[in-house]
Amino acid sequence: MKILYFALLRDITHKKEEDWHQPEATLGDLLRDLVAQYGHEFEHWVLKDGDLWNLVIILVNGQDVRQMQKLKTPLAATDSVVIFPPLGGG
Amino acid sequence: MHGWIGKVLRVNLSTGKVSTEPLDLDRAKDYLGARGLGTKYFCDEVDPKVDPLSPDNKLIFAPGPLTGTYAPSGGRYNVCTKGPLNGTIAASNSGGTWGPELKFAGYDMLIVEGKAPKPVYLWIRDSSVEIRDAGPLWGKIVPDTQDAICAATDADAKVACIGPAGENQVLFAAIMNDMHRAAGRSGVGAVMGSKNLKAVAVRGNGSVTCADHEAFLAAVMDARQKIQAHPVGGTGFRLYGSQILMNIINQVGASPTRNWQDGFFPNADKVSGETLAANQLQRPKGCFSCIISCGRVTKVTNPKYKGEGEGPEYETAWGFGGDCGVDNFDAGIKANYYCNEYGMDTITMGSTVACAMELYEKGFITLEDTGGIALNWGDGDAMLEMVRLTGVGEGFGKKLGQGSYRLAESYGHPELSMTVKKQEMPAYDARAIQGVGLNYATSNRGGCHMRGYTIETEVLGNPVFGPKVDQHTIDGKPQICINWQNLTAALDATGSCQFTTFGIAADELAAMLGPLTGIEYTAEDFLKCGDRIWNLERLFNLKAGFTAKDDTLPPRMLKEPIKTGPSKGKVNLLPEMLPEYYRLRGWDENGVPTPAKLQELGLSA
Repeated sequence: MKILYFALLRDITHKKEEDWHQPEATLGDLLRDLVAQYGHEFEHWVLKDGDLWNLVIILVNGQDVRQMQKLKTPLAATDSVVIFPPLGGG
Repeated sequence: MHGWIGKVLRVNLSTGKVSTEPLDLDRAKDYLGARGLGTKYFCDEVDPKVDPLSPDNKLIFAPGPLTGTYAPSGGRYNVCTKGPLNGTIAASNSGGTWGPELKFAGYDMLIVEGKAPKPVYLWIRDSSVEIRDAGPLWGKIVPDTQDAICAATDADAKVACIGPAGENQVLFAAIMNDMHRAAGRSGVGAVMGSKNLKAVAVRGNGSVTCADHEAFLAAVMDARQKIQAHPVGGTGFRLYGSQILMNIINQVGASPTRNWQDGFFPNADKVSGETLAANQLQRPKGCFSCIISCGRVTKVTNPKYKGEGEGPEYETAWGFGGDCGVDNFDAGIKANYYCNEYGMDTITMGSTVACAMELYEKGFITLEDTGGIALNWGDGDAMLEMVRLTGVGEGFGKKLGQGSYRLAESYGHPELSMTVKKQEMPAYDARAIQGVGLNYATSNRGGCHMRGYTIETEVLGNPVFGPKVDQHTIDGKPQICINWQNLTAALDATGSCQFTTFGIAADELAAMLGPLTGIEYTAEDFLKCGDRIWNLERLFNLKAGFTAKDDTLPPRMLKEPIKTGPSKGKVNLLPEMLPEYYRLRGWDENGVPTPAKLQELGLSA
């Protein structure tokens, strides 16, 4: 599946996007993998006390995982996952 | 009197009379200041049927009680008038340093009446107020106007002025202050131009006093710490500005594209906050007493679009980006610079060019209309030329200067104007985010996101009013919309900034107002002030001739589903939300506040 990064997460990962391959995974599996790869700074902007931070915006095929199953949201090989740190504007 | 200065400055440009009067503390308690108190004074003095561009209309410059204090982002003022773009009550606010300076000069409000027989500017230095000849300034762009006035008065004078667009009464002309900050929406600059008032320059040596300095300082520090601790208020804005929204709004399928023919712009990242930070951004900038620093000092080095200035904000980057199908970011930023120099609202300008592009695409206008310029989607150069022509008031720019509604209507297709009450909607597709559509439809100044920023609840998940909700559902949206509208009205009335909601809300704002003014406000009192302001604005619009029929959205929002992206197939479900909104507001089925509601708020019909 394709993972897209935005804002500060681009600086942390040094990437705009990358592919991730793991069959029958959940969002939690993906984030654990990414934290292992990109370290504490990535974790700081995405997780709080091991749970999904309520301000982080993660979309799976355009749908916000906060309206899905959060970390238990199932992921398929064809999914697109976009990850934003907390952000705002107006 | 604390927080407020206690004095109103009144200038009649027809007679040349300058006077002062005590601030009415009873009204100040209920309406706070800025958008609230300014609107209250305006409604008490001006016939709602007034022609906005006639001498009988008034122009009120009003900071709030927090303006000029060290409250976070306490640097804003409002311009209250009847707006010429659509005839609604207009309160357009701006940051920078001008608002605080008016208070330091000793005034809570400047009320401008009448029309000068020839171009003038005001020079306010504490108790000295002069009406000066602005003949040599007429026709100058904003930076040249400010430089000339500072040279003639005081190098440190703060200047609010209009550019050529305001002089030409472009119906979405802005009042610019501190060179790059704009009271942008509703055409307040055209009202200033109609009065032959080029600028108001201010220098003050006073200060704002507190009823309980120690308690105020404690409340301010609490608020500042909360904003600094918030990942958006404390970090995100400084790094990326409001422009960071470009990608997220697009990724949720809510980025209006090619005059709202779609809700997804594939090239959004090319005109995003991330791209700006990597290329054109020089440094962030904050307004008076601001710890957020969303301002963008930028520089375009591309020789074709070379320039320096401030911006773009998210709305601007969208208006000169996806809405026109343009991914040439340098051209979009240059369009922003033009708007700042000529003094125009970037949202209405971008949306009006987008409307013209659709008229051209569909063959409703031709090269003969546009002066030989092909208005093809994505053509940044054509877009830029349209902005320039509007600013200087030449050629097709004269038609564009009337806004998209009059433009589209003049060619027989008003349905192609993406407006509510004839004011252009900003950069959030109402089909993809249900509550924002309800907010647009009910906004007291027409299409506007800053009247009730439900985006924080529907997309971003900032928990000011509970947890994040699904953007596509309508459940609970009327109450969420009302909550944001009331909070924003009260917040605007303090003289602080909407962006402080990324850290604080009613509790903290009320906690600062108490020790500042010596009048205790609970969060409930504070939000009731917002409710009162909202209903006052509504009453003005009803008296001006607006009805429930005007609380609607362009047909495209209700009938044409989004074509691509994550919100494909969606339309706005306004008819299902509006009756509940009226009921929760305490209004009847015609959208008129009930006697009981008016009594609750201390208002009269």
